[in-house]
Amino acid sequence: MVEQKLSIPRYWRRTPQYYRLEGVQCVRCGRVYYPPRAVCECGSREFKPYPLPSTGKLLNFTVLYSVPAEFEKMKPLIIGIVDLGGVRVIGQIVDCMNPEKLNPGMEVEVVFRMVKMDGTYGLINYGYKFRPIENC
Amino acid sequence: MFNTTEVYIVAHSLVPGGRHYEKGLKELFAEAFLKVLDQVGNSNLGAVYVANAFSEVLQDQSVLGAFLSDYVGLRRTPAIRIESGDGSSGVAILEAYNMVKAGVYDCVAVVGVEKMHDVTSIKLNKALATITDYEYEGFFGITPAAQAAMAMREYMLKYGYDYEDLASWPIKMHERGSKNPYAYMRKQATLKDVLESEVIADPLRLYDAAPAVDGSAAVVLCNKPLRSDAVVRIDGIGIGAYGTYMGQRDTLTELLSVKDAVNMALGMAHSSIGDVNLVEVHDTYSILGILALESMGFVRSGETPRLLSTGALDVGNKLVVNASGGLKSMGFPGGASGMYEIVSMVMELTNQKPFDSLGNAGLGVVQDMAGFDLVSTAIVLRRVT
Repeated sequence: MVEQKLSIPRYWRRTPQYYRLEGVQCVRCGRVYYPPRAVCECGSREFKPYPLPSTGKLLNFTVLYSVPAEFEKMKPLIIGIVDLGGVRVIGQIVDCMNPEKLNPGMEVEVVFRMVKMDGTYGLINYGYKFRPIENC
Repeated sequence: MFNTTEVYIVAHSLVPGGRHYEKGLKELFAEAFLKVLDQVGNSNLGAVYVANAFSEVLQDQSVLGAFLSDYVGLRRTPAIRIESGDGSSGVAILEAYNMVKAGVYDCVAVVGVEKMHDVTSIKLNKALATITDYEYEGFFGITPAAQAAMAMREYMLKYGYDYEDLASWPIKMHERGSKNPYAYMRKQATLKDVLESEVIADPLRLYDAAPAVDGSAAVVLCNKPLRSDAVVRIDGIGIGAYGTYMGQRDTLTELLSVKDAVNMALGMAHSSIGDVNLVEVHDTYSILGILALESMGFVRSGETPRLLSTGALDVGNKLVVNASGGLKSMGFPGGASGMYEIVSMVMELTNQKPFDSLGNAGLGVVQDMAGFDLVSTAIVLRRVT
């Protein structure tokens, strides 16, 4: 039997976020939130979906060597905060062989990648990661 | 409501942090708890508050309080487990304090217990990742170390520090720990040791992280002191929160939940920052200790590394920071870590060895925090006799 560590419904219900970076915009005041939330700072509870732009700027980052179990084979991970049209998102930075070339302010784009998987035959979770536009 | 009940810490104990492979949660709990029970004699404990963060993840155990209290023969005494990540202890103290203050119980025990070494370090990382927003942070591999590292990078850029400047925190904490028999890290560290230690999350190095330990520490809170000398009273207690997702923050260099917690606690104690002689901060990572001190207003923003290296926060000054050596030298027992800070502070205020050189310090603040600025508590302790 395949050991199932990843939950299907837990992942499936977040695919709008994991696949399309779908945030929410308050219908009353226009504030945008990622991740989505139920109540706006203005008090409104009415939101519409707001997919974030697919390019942005790197704000801060770290190269993480001590990783949780399911990322052991992918270490080190580069973790960064990026600004996508004024909304800050935290995630992995990929396709960068030389992390010392990373700099705050660098242009990045959203890419769709595998995040984690259950062994050889198990479920695969996909999601967004970020890639520097210039070679790195 | 008119309420004159005061709340005193009448007993304290701790099991020095370590790799206690031969002991489970029950044995560690019993070791700390029975010591305080012996100190208070026949006091009628109304309830036991258990601070623990990870028993479901690390030991597959829920309803932890019930199993622990039965083990020490308190079958009919309710044991309430409080989980607020690595900030569980401060919240447990707050809840216990409220029950005594409200007159529900005369005395309650608060025990922090955690076993971090029942799993390998990569599994422990997974448990620690549960104190991030798991759906949007932990899911992608983000851990508290990664969050602290980015805060450290922002701090260094903002105030123009090099990594070597921030190494003053681990060096100072190791120096304090070397004189503390209750510490886990009891050897001094040189700048070379720190600079040569492995990188956990650039720029954060191994020496910047409080080492994970198994441990347990306990206090008993009562509505009257049990003796006449060296009495410690809880004069104020505060709690604060500041959002969750890291991307929502404007700055990583100010901990707003800590600021709110300490203001609430000092207000309750009718005291101000300037009255405080001793502070124990929750330095799971060097940078979080620095940010906590500055966010509470003890040190001007950006000044901590400089003041530490000149010795301005050492014994003999107006304010002594982490006389115990902090979590950096006491160790990091997850949800029990705040209890180590509180027990250390009680020993500091009452001048027990090894804190007999601290002199007549009257007022101490203990700061505890869950994750990166999620929920924080601050407790103002005063030595009244």
